[in-house]
Amino acid sequence: MTTAAEGTAMDDPRQSTATLEVRGLAKTYGTGAEAHEIFAGIDLTVAPREIVCIVGPSGVGKTTLLRCIGGLLAPTAGEVLVEGQRLRGPVPQIGIVFQDYSRSLLPWMRTVDNVAFPLESKGMKKSERIPRAEAALEAVGLAGSGSRYPWQLSGGMQQRAAIARAIAYEAEILLMDEPFASVDAQTRADLEDLALDLRQRLGVTLVLVTHDIDEAVYLSDRVVVLSGRPASVVDVVDIHLGDDRDQLTTKSLPEFTEDRARVLRQIRRP
Amino acid sequence: MRSTRSFLLAFLEQAWLPVLLVVIWWFASEGNTNPFFPPLSKIWDSFVTEMSSGQMELHLWASTRNILIGLAVGVVVGVVGGTVIGLSRRLRAVLNPYLQFFRTLPQVAIIPIIIGAFGITAVPKIWAIGFACIWPVLLNTVDGIRAIDPGVRDMVDAYRITTWRSIFRVVLPGALPQIMAGIRISLSVAVVLMVVSEIYAATEGVGYFIHITTGLFQTDKTWMGTLLVGLMGYLLSVIFLLIEKRALRWYHESAS
Repeated sequence: MTTAAEGTAMDDPRQSTATLEVRGLAKTYGTGAEAHEIFAGIDLTVAPREIVCIVGPSGVGKTTLLRCIGGLLAPTAGEVLVEGQRLRGPVPQIGIVFQDYSRSLLPWMRTVDNVAFPLESKGMKKSERIPRAEAALEAVGLAGSGSRYPWQLSGGMQQRAAIARAIAYEAEILLMDEPFASVDAQTRADLEDLALDLRQRLGVTLVLVTHDIDEAVYLSDRVVVLSGRPASVVDVVDIHLGDDRDQLTTKSLPEFTEDRARVLRQIRRP
Repeated sequence: MRSTRSFLLAFLEQAWLPVLLVVIWWFASEGNTNPFFPPLSKIWDSFVTEMSSGQMELHLWASTRNILIGLAVGVVVGVVGGTVIGLSRRLRAVLNPYLQFFRTLPQVAIIPIIIGAFGITAVPKIWAIGFACIWPVLLNTVDGIRAIDPGVRDMVDAYRITTWRSIFRVVLPGALPQIMAGIRISLSVAVVLMVVSEIYAATEGVGYFIHITTGLFQTDKTWMGTLLVGLMGYLLSVIFLLIEKRALRWYHESAS
């Protein structure tokens, strides 16, 4: 398969080497009697090239956890380590893909400029930025759409552009917060396959937050189940569905059904 | 070809009513002897004579210059000040009462003070216009920056966008629709300030022309000056709309 991943700007597939470690992470809003503990004692290690999905009932604090892992929010206790380095804010190894793509893409910039924009702050010249952004767009299946504005693209295409931005940024770890929640079912399936494909081709690590258990099982090497108040990790389910997955056959495997049932039981556990 | 034709049609659609009104006015006022409501034909005659004397051009130029420089000063100070205040929660809390005061203060009220203190030349008038133009731009810049989606801020943080880059490429473009709306308000404020400051004390300008012709009881010329001020304000706002349409193309097109 000849794709942009093997082309100019992305000659060597990323092959993430960054390990992500979360140790005793806790977040509390407010103090004293008003204190509201969101989650506590979260431990998690994500190996390079792994896909981990964090699932849990809505309102459990999945997004808050992901924001802490991404360095957007300071935890109350514990630490996040990327390549052994303690996180004090966003780092270049991590790219975040937000749920609301329509807000995270800037409407006054063309799609290719949106994708290339973070590279400016890395001090990269325009002659390097644009080809890299074009290559990233091609890698997510948006070749030729770069000159259009984000609002001229469909929802699924906008989310692809947001993913392209994280890829052009050379993030080794992609954090995704409900990335496919606001697109239709068919687009959602396509984007799930894109996520698998990017791991395969570029060797990126993916940490996704989702409320969709089918999606979590289909994508993951491991599913982390978050539950309780304050939330903690109640189960980590290893998924053994192999590297080659597809929407039809994988989802009808007995293993898929078993894993899905196990995750569901953990979430529903009182 | 087709676009010129549709443009012409759109123009005719807009133009027929004003043309009709002017025609009605022309014939209805003909032969009117009330000195306060001179016939339109007389107003037109005085326009032709004044324009050919070369004096009127100087008045128009002086007024336009004062508006444009004053507006430019107001926009620059307003955008810079508004950006600083919009980005700082603490500054907003401290300055809010003062900003509300200037928002509600009728800006023409400062004209006697400024002209009294600095004289009747053009520069104090430009200061007065500039000062008045600051507030709509400043307040709209603050509002525009505050209205930027928190998701945009997250993106800026997550991708480690540098401060200056985030101000010029994210914050200001994001607030631009509101800033433009503020400039539009300031433009009409500037026209008001121009006329009042020139009527109050001046040696040139359209407002000054209106003032002296009233004193000389040349009502046809007063009418002409007043119509010119209206026309000037209209032309300036048309030019501004064209600029705005260009600058905010993404905004108008993404909304439709």
